[in-house]
Amino acid sequence: MILPGSVKECVQALAEHGAAAKLVAGGTDLLPQLKNHLLKPGVVVDLSGVATLKKLTADKGLRIGAAVTARELERDGRLATGAYRGLAESGALVGSVQVRHLATVGGNICNAAPSADMIPPLLALDAEAVIAGPRGERRVPLRDFITGVRTTVLGADELLVELSVPDPGPHSGGAYLRHTPRRELDIAVVGVGSQVTLANGVCTKARIALAAVAPTPVHARAAERALEGQALTPQRIEEAAKLAVEAARPISDQRGSVEFRRHLVRVLTRRTLTTALARANGGQA
Amino acid sequence: MSTMKTTRDVRGVGLSIPRPDGPEKVTGRVQYVADMTSRGLLHAKLLRSRHAHARIVGIDTTRAKALPGVRAVLTARDIPELKHKAPTRAHAVLAIDRVVFAGQPVAAVAADEAAIAEEALDLIEVQYEVLPAAVDPLKSMQPGAPPVAELGTEADTSEALAHSAVAMAKGEAAPAKAVNISQTAAVKRGDVAKGFAESDLVLEHTYRVPMVHQGYLEPHAVLAEWDRAGNLTLWASTQGSFNTRSEVADVLGIEENRIKVIPVECGGGFGGKIRALCEPITALLARATKRPVRYVMTRREELEAGMPAPQVIIRLKTGVKRDGALMALEAETVLESGAFSGTVLAVSAVFLGSLYRWPAFDIKGSEVLTHKPSVAAYRAPVAPQTIFAIDSHMESLARALALDPVEFRRRHLQKPGEPMVNNQPWASNGAHEVLTRIAEHPLWKEREAWKKSSGNGHGLRGTGLALGGWLGGLQPTSATVKLNPDGTLAVLTGQVDIAGTNIALAQIAATAYGLDIDKVKITTGDTDVAPLTGLSAGSKTIYTVGTAVLQAAQNARQQTLEIAAKELEASVQDLEIVDGKVIVRGVPDKGVTLASIGKKGNLYMSKVEPVLGVAHPAFSQQAPAFAAQLARIEVDPDTGQTTLHDFVVVQDAGHAINPLGVEGQMQGGAVQSLGIALTEALMYDDSGRLMNPSLLDYRTLTAADLPDIETIIVEVPSPSGPYGARGVGEPPIVPAPAALANAIHDATGVRLTEVPLTPERIALAIAAKG
Amino acid sequence: MNVRKQAMTLTLNDELVEVLVKPYETLLDTLRETLGLTGPKEGCGTGDCGACTVHLDGKAVASCLVLALQARNRQVRTIEGLGTDDTLHPLQDAFVRHGVPQCGFCIPGVLMAAAALLAETPRPSDEEIRYGIAGNLCRCTGYTKMVTAIAEAAAAVPQGAR
Repeated sequence: MILPGSVKECVQALAEHGAAAKLVAGGTDLLPQLKNHLLKPGVVVDLSGVATLKKLTADKGLRIGAAVTARELERDGRLATGAYRGLAESGALVGSVQVRHLATVGGNICNAAPSADMIPPLLALDAEAVIAGPRGERRVPLRDFITGVRTTVLGADELLVELSVPDPGPHSGGAYLRHTPRRELDIAVVGVGSQVTLANGVCTKARIALAAVAPTPVHARAAERALEGQALTPQRIEEAAKLAVEAARPISDQRGSVEFRRHLVRVLTRRTLTTALARANGGQA
Repeated sequence: MSTMKTTRDVRGVGLSIPRPDGPEKVTGRVQYVADMTSRGLLHAKLLRSRHAHARIVGIDTTRAKALPGVRAVLTARDIPELKHKAPTRAHAVLAIDRVVFAGQPVAAVAADEAAIAEEALDLIEVQYEVLPAAVDPLKSMQPGAPPVAELGTEADTSEALAHSAVAMAKGEAAPAKAVNISQTAAVKRGDVAKGFAESDLVLEHTYRVPMVHQGYLEPHAVLAEWDRAGNLTLWASTQGSFNTRSEVADVLGIEENRIKVIPVECGGGFGGKIRALCEPITALLARATKRPVRYVMTRREELEAGMPAPQVIIRLKTGVKRDGALMALEAETVLESGAFSGTVLAVSAVFLGSLYRWPAFDIKGSEVLTHKPSVAAYRAPVAPQTIFAIDSHMESLARALALDPVEFRRRHLQKPGEPMVNNQPWASNGAHEVLTRIAEHPLWKEREAWKKSSGNGHGLRGTGLALGGWLGGLQPTSATVKLNPDGTLAVLTGQVDIAGTNIALAQIAATAYGLDIDKVKITTGDTDVAPLTGLSAGSKTIYTVGTAVLQAAQNARQQTLEIAAKELEASVQDLEIVDGKVIVRGVPDKGVTLASIGKKGNLYMSKVEPVLGVAHPAFSQQAPAFAAQLARIEVDPDTGQTTLHDFVVVQDAGHAINPLGVEGQMQGGAVQSLGIALTEALMYDDSGRLMNPSLLDYRTLTAADLPDIETIIVEVPSPSGPYGARGVGEPPIVPAPAALANAIHDATGVRLTEVPLTPERIALAIAAKG
Repeated sequence: MNVRKQAMTLTLNDELVEVLVKPYETLLDTLRETLGLTGPKEGCGTGDCGACTVHLDGKAVASCLVLALQARNRQVRTIEGLGTDDTLHPLQDAFVRHGVPQCGFCIPGVLMAAAALLAETPRPSDEEIRYGIAGNLCRCTGYTKMVTAIAEAAAAVPQGAR
């Protein structure tokens, strides 16, 4: 076990141990895998001592350190307003409070589960992943970061250090909803994060990101396009919700069937868009 | 604390008294098996089959044995006691040449550390020849299905004996080629065909309840140690130490006197810790290593290879007249028992055929084996599943006939004395009283207004109720009550106290003897010191062990009074015990203290016999106990999510010995019932592997999913129970699946016949209805 | 399995403790097996039941999901450090009086979750209490008496007290 104190030391450790190394931040995904013998890393690099990874800065957009916890997203006053509210909502839904105090944004993203709650709102905010490696820093749009079920663009010698969220502008609202049979302690059957930005009563930008309906979280592009340049009436929102279903390629598993997941995409897209719109308009919904 | 007393009897019975071991439990000082250690302790791990059905071609343990820190690696070959045709799971310690469910142990390791034992498992190589598996019970019961048990394996009926004394005739023998039907039962009365022919309405549904897990928070655990003379001590998490002793002795082929079972604090059982499971293999590892060995199951192992409740499938057909007269009932019950026999068929027949007054019925039941973990009891075994069918059906009939659903049930509900399906009369019970009481509840009376408040930003609102119960378990048992030299009283049984039954037993002893509760100590002894005591199961602790304690206390009181009578030169009838003193009635200053009587029983050269009350009753009369539950809900028609706004339990406790404990049973049972109703199911894929082996995907309800559970205790005294008490553990787990299905029907117009009533099932059914 | 142990210090129930741990050992295992604090329980080992809940720097965490080494130089409180030897914490006292514990296995975790909740939200609503202990599965009680006891204890604790 290696206990680096800085990003630079992390990168050095990764350079030394390569693919044998496994990074751990909160441990909420890693420890069950260790427990069930699904993973036997040669060496674990613990990120909990790297202070810069735990910072959340809000100044013309957001810079979210990879080791910021779900609980911090849930409770940070700066995320309680309209534009970032979806992100706070996603943090509040992860696991239970005992898990949210540990689970990190970076871990959720790098674990790259199709059902990851914190990814859709970040996708909807056009977040960028900031990656550190031996050749310095590189930035990758979050939508390109995840390449498949539990796979990302990260090289064995790289780590995710930060999520960079561009300023969504003054009239932007976001919302995240997921469906689970239980209210807490559950995993999304479907999750939808929506973000709408308005100017003069017209939607200038719409983003709809879906979780647990494809190998990776995905954007509902056709639905987004159908909204942009339009006034967001309930009819248009319903149209977009229908279009969003087309972006979903769900499977049937123990958590839900294809049919139910498609049904939920429509319901949750309609609801998140409606809420996001109200928030963009300054509502406290 | 004074605010919680509802003073009915200063001696104890009827008081809400918190359990005296509460402080130990809230400070974390109580020790469960996994918290215990022993000098030289080794840790056990089991290698389990990933396949539901496979032939074991070979096992190579060489590499595992060579791992430093490994002290023993056992396979079936190392255990001469193992036999083919194992009648129970306990006997099938390790698979011999065929595995019959995914999760079945094939090898066992004991090592210095748990992590080393786990490492060793990865080094054991097992070659399997995978065989087709019987996963769906309805297919498994057909001729030609892959066989589960070895030909000639006996059906196991001990579970039925432990849980209900209702005898039933064996059914016709299964078709010769239907190899996986392990038991059948049948019961018939009247002319069913004629009844259906004369009916105005014939309704038929098939109800399904999947396998569910008891979900106790403490996984199975045992610590085993042998002494040099060949005596085994087991520290076990068990619901019955004498039962565990018998089963382990039988599997190991040794005398019961060579085994001491010490019942350690049990972190929940609910029926899942009655039968032996991991005790035999742990004892064998301890024997092989000559060291103490501790085995603690993981949660994954619990879910994959515990002993869950059977899947129950009931096809139910009924005929009624337009005016609501019942005409005929036909039912076929399939109980999926997993890889070993051991379910209870009789309970289902009694509730289907004779909770309500059917003039003609034809009920068949089959126990079917599949390649899944074998099942065991789960709080009121088969009752929630059966009541789900019959109560949903009664509600549907009432609605179809536009009759008041409570009136319809009440009109046909059998009364004490009327015949059950086996022609034995229903014993005294409070079924009518609880049904009447719940129908008086404001939430029931206001159900139309609640339903009308649907929409306008709310979901679809509805109210539902259901009635169910339990016939009452019986088992011989014993207790002693001794007077200490200082005048205090000591009660001894072997009763495992999980839910707080010991305080209630102490209350019974205090009241029966005539002493204040704080002068009574109750001890759960191990199998070497305690008198034979039955299981903590079947809602029979207070009913049977309570009776034993009552009789033993009365016996001790009689002895005490006889000793005092001699000293006071009075007759026993004129004596009473007041404030720790035996006095002549009406002459308080003429008396002898209990301390002096106790002291003389332990004095050198004394001629006074020590006071030792003994009782060892057996029982033949059950005390059925009923509960009615009401749910006020709201359904989100788009997501199918059900929100529980209110939940009420009305239950006949006979006489609540400790109302605080009774409420705890009612609330806990109700939430388990709600879990079956709403979220819980063990889900298997086509190859027989469990798809949800974690508490994240096997969803027991959390505090956030629930409202406060309102409890209303009704007391219809049992003529045979101590102070009129009835069992209270099982009834509250019974009604909720039906109550919720009825409430969802009320709210949405959709009738669901398969639980759990998941958002998916509800939403898709609403969507299909349009 | 001959992995090298590492030494670390932590503040455990207000006392500085030095302990040797293996690299992949969980905090729960260290507490239970090495330090002999068996109050925190392992109900699942995967963070899905809450029985292992302890406070890490004052926050409720699932100790089965924390590597022991991640607790180095930090504050850990377990159920053994909730009340004192002589005096029960108001939550513990309320749990006893309301007859909350049945099998008792979940209770240490629930109490630690509840204590963390009250530290953050001294006067929680019933709904906040229910969400505050939603990460703790209990199979015996149906939670009703737990919620009542926590609400009563919250009302009894002076503002600002632990």
